[in-house]
Amino acid sequence: MIDVRVWLLWALTALVAASSTRNPLYIVLLLLVVALVGVFWAPAHRRLPLAPLRFALVAVPLAAAFSGLTAHLGDTVLFCLPPWLPLLGGAVTLESLVAGTINGLTLTVIWGAFAVLNQVAAVHELVRLAPRAFRDAGLVLSIALTYLPQTSRSLARIREAQAVRGHRLRGPRDWLPILIPLLISGLERSTGLSEAMVARGYGAVSDRPQPLPARGLLALGLFLLLGGWMTWLFVPRWAAGALAAMIAGGGLVGAVVWWGGRSVQRTTYRVHRWGWRDVGVMLGCSLLLLLVLLPLGGQRTLAYNPYPLLAAPPFDPLVGLGLLGLLAPAAAAPGPRRPAA
Amino acid sequence: MIRFDRFRYTYPGASQPALADVTFAVEQGELVLVTGLSGAGKSTLLRCINGLVPHFSGGQVGGVIAVAGHDPVAEGPAVLSQIVGFVFQDPESQFVVDEVADEIAFALENAAVPRPEMRARVEAVLEMMGLTPLRRRRIDTLSGGEKQRVAIAAALALRPQILLLDEPTSQLDPRASEEVLQALVRLNRQLGLTILLSEHRLERVLPYVDRMVHLPGPGQPPQAGPPRSVLRHVDPLPPLVALGRALAWEPLPLSVEEGRPFAERALQDCQVRRASSPAVLGDLEPILKVENLSFAFAGPVVLQGVNLVVRRGELAALMGRNGAGKTTLLRCIVGLLQPQEGEIALAGRSIWGRETAEVCRQAAYLPQEPDSLLFADTVAEELWVTLRNHGLQAQPPIHPHALLDRLGLQAVRAAYPRDLSVGQRQRVALGAVTVTAPRLLLLDEPTRGMDYAAKESLLALLREWRAEGMGVLLVTHDVELVAQAADRVIVLEQGRVVADGPPAEVLTADADFAPQVARLFPACGWLTAAEALARLTPPAARPIQSSAEGDAA
Amino acid sequence: MGRMASGAIYALSAAMGILAFASPFLTAAQTGTALSGAKAALAMMALIGLSLVALLIEMQGRSLDARTVALLGVLVATTSVLRFVEVILPMPGGFSPVFVPIILAGYVFGARFGFLMGAFTLLVSAMITGGVGPWLPYQMYAAGWVGMTAGWLGRAGGGNRAMAARSLAPRHLILLAVFSFAWGFLYGAIMNVYFWPYAVGSAEQSWAAGIGFAEMLSRYAAFYAVTSLGWDLLRAIGNVVLILLLASPTVRVLQRFRQRFHFAVQAAHD
Repeated sequence: MIDVRVWLLWALTALVAASSTRNPLYIVLLLLVVALVGVFWAPAHRRLPLAPLRFALVAVPLAAAFSGLTAHLGDTVLFCLPPWLPLLGGAVTLESLVAGTINGLTLTVIWGAFAVLNQVAAVHELVRLAPRAFRDAGLVLSIALTYLPQTSRSLARIREAQAVRGHRLRGPRDWLPILIPLLISGLERSTGLSEAMVARGYGAVSDRPQPLPARGLLALGLFLLLGGWMTWLFVPRWAAGALAAMIAGGGLVGAVVWWGGRSVQRTTYRVHRWGWRDVGVMLGCSLLLLLVLLPLGGQRTLAYNPYPLLAAPPFDPLVGLGLLGLLAPAAAAPGPRRPAA
Repeated sequence: MIRFDRFRYTYPGASQPALADVTFAVEQGELVLVTGLSGAGKSTLLRCINGLVPHFSGGQVGGVIAVAGHDPVAEGPAVLSQIVGFVFQDPESQFVVDEVADEIAFALENAAVPRPEMRARVEAVLEMMGLTPLRRRRIDTLSGGEKQRVAIAAALALRPQILLLDEPTSQLDPRASEEVLQALVRLNRQLGLTILLSEHRLERVLPYVDRMVHLPGPGQPPQAGPPRSVLRHVDPLPPLVALGRALAWEPLPLSVEEGRPFAERALQDCQVRRASSPAVLGDLEPILKVENLSFAFAGPVVLQGVNLVVRRGELAALMGRNGAGKTTLLRCIVGLLQPQEGEIALAGRSIWGRETAEVCRQAAYLPQEPDSLLFADTVAEELWVTLRNHGLQAQPPIHPHALLDRLGLQAVRAAYPRDLSVGQRQRVALGAVTVTAPRLLLLDEPTRGMDYAAKESLLALLREWRAEGMGVLLVTHDVELVAQAADRVIVLEQGRVVADGPPAEVLTADADFAPQVARLFPACGWLTAAEALARLTPPAARPIQSSAEGDAA
Repeated sequence: MGRMASGAIYALSAAMGILAFASPFLTAAQTGTALSGAKAALAMMALIGLSLVALLIEMQGRSLDARTVALLGVLVATTSVLRFVEVILPMPGGFSPVFVPIILAGYVFGARFGFLMGAFTLLVSAMITGGVGPWLPYQMYAAGWVGMTAGWLGRAGGGNRAMAARSLAPRHLILLAVFSFAWGFLYGAIMNVYFWPYAVGSAEQSWAAGIGFAEMLSRYAAFYAVTSLGWDLLRAIGNVVLILLLASPTVRVLQRFRQRFHFAVQAAHD
């Protein structure tokens, strides 16, 4: 099994890769890689990557149509819409359709990568990712997930109980006798639960005092982020300084989270040992980030522009190899689930 | 270990104290039973010991309470959690995470116990409660008894010196309760853990108890002491103790084993009259007729070829272990589930193709958790809602006002239903399903979590309705209740009817279903203390106490 | 100091949201900017994520007491179950039953609770319906603001005093309905920002430098009308219907419960 944190890293890497390139060759390659990983990790009865396919069938034509109808750029004119149509009027070009298709494919890659994450990650493992500073938030999530099945059962029970006293679901108003008891029983349960938590030592060990004025730092961090961003947008000359401010702001927010976590007095029962699969996937992701983001020469091929006249996209083998790094989870898929050749 | 001295407590806004003049002490290693009717303050008393009261409820506190040298009122439940473990009534609503081991570790994580020690402690607690094989199971896949053992294990993880349990078995079936109680006795005997538990069904725990604290009612000072001396003042009682008290058995027997020598002597001494054969109900008109009913959820068969009749004016009890298909049968009868095979007829008419809402006008069904029904702002309104659902508000078959009178709810008719006690809420729900004047009443575990007094008043009501010709089908685990009330007992086992006959026959055939009196006097055919007392002529000098059977109505 | 800092956090986070919303048009208006569309989207995701983290820390405070944690957990579970209802019975358009519980919880229990309720409800329902993705921070951020502003509404509308009466005056009911109608559109608009840059792409910007703010805005309007207007309209209408249906009884139940939160411990007098 691959750790859920590693899966998260994998999905985020796919997101970064898909957002960094406009080259349709790379995007299609990414799409194949993501679909393949999905196939390798799918349960035996759902081998075909139908869900991404379905998404692509909707997203790609929509994006292509939107781009084709609204961006009247490019030299290869297919046909013209009457110019009096607001916004839509003008030439519909091959280039704008291609640009829209690229947009749709990019969205499909991102959607597909996270669909894989949703498919493989157990919900409760995701909750355990909450950093220590968010201990209480993590607890809220864990309680919510623990009470979900109970709440669904309680909903079914209430529907039956109302049915036996002659209640029928005809209109929206008839949901009241079902929703109100559901709410009330939830509230009553929360009272019992909070007592149980306190009786078991929740809040018994007080946290260490926080060494820093967390709020002030947080506000400062946000200010730097916002200021940096605005500078970047409006004063391109100062881009370097803006970037530095944004990094500093992000760092401050991160530091507050870290310090907040240190002040929380708590230990965890679960241990996790990194396995070779985790390391393999992390190496694959780093390979991609290295080859794709570092200026090694192939980086120019990431940018591709169909305008003004459609041309064949360039392809750099090194970047292609880097994108294949995302395949790592497929190689690490558990044996019995591997599809028969 | 625990010392109360003239302790008293009043809930915010209440005119009378919930606890008054509480003075008693508990020594280390004792197993203490707290008894009393619902609303007498059992929960409140236990919650005072770990500081949940007053810290989670507010109110006025007076007097002294000391728990292992700490003052819960001053220090609060968070501090006391390190000394006192607490297990709640409903196993469902005390879990925070999904897996057994993580749940047990929750308290240790909060206390920042280092991980190696945490693992050792979790293992030790799992072992102690016999949960080791369940370590990685999801909690919502466990049975009720297993859940409650997980809750106890979770409370023990912090190594408390005292364990408090608030009616830990009230939501469990007899077998699961036995499992939990045995685990508690083991903890008490082997580890010397001080345990206080409150419990309605005394018969199961009495043999193991070192000390009893009885709360006679809200605001009345409790009696505390060894069980035999406290039991003299307690009413109502388990049948064995009632019998022992009425027949002046000394020392008072607390278990059937202890009672047997007395019973044998009583049979020799007294002129014993045999039980007369039960009244034959004859061939009254059947209200409910189930023929060859089979039902299966997606896979496993739940009911198989069930045949069953309930007649006019008959109270039939449906018994059987958990998972035998009792609730499924009731849900089939009112049309909530569609059986694969068989026929169900209500007053001669098949229910096939009829809506649940319509079937239930004739066959009232009270589900296991009556709270699911209640949502209106007042008690009276709950009854009107049902009438409106059926379109009967113009001409109600029973006027809600009259029904509330009968249910003893007239005084609380304007109250918010959820603020009432368990027994009262149950009666509100009962009113809400019976306001259509049904001919058949189906009850699913109506006495779960109820005290003796609430049971008595429910029984009295059922008897009245039966006398008026209503047919009642009562699903229950409560053997003593069946012994007192049922005309006929039907036993389901793995979806089949394995016994159907008069209580005296069916209840004595299986040790699991035998009431205390039947086990005490095997082969006599007596089921209740009243029957036994009526047949055994007591020693002349000793008057029979009228409360012996507790048929207060 | 503490109050000021926390006010600054709200204001900065709100500014961040507005900027994120406007940034596609701003980048379009600027020529020669260093950001291409998709990269701008990445940067925006990071910024919205960080601003969400900052708000969560601020809302969580030093720590939450057991009652709040349990209440939040159970309410989030209840609301997420409603999301299941949405999956089983397909509702029209962007209608989702989760917003009204968030609004009402915020209205009764205050801005802080509302924010946490909104953010966590979206998080949990994303987890159970398999909807975790880069859009999640946006959803949490937007739903958090829904709950938080509902809390402000509750206080501003004299809600607290009205609540002592345990019922919702018609004036407040109308206020809530208008509020939830507005959020039906606002939520959609915030969520669009996430994939707008992907949908438009950057190519034509760099090629036809500076197609201009007005042009971009009109394209966005077209994009919004095509992809979202009907969708959001249904969400807004659904919210109003649910508010009119549920608000009064729900607020009554929540009020009853909230009153149990307030009590005092006294020593008895001898």
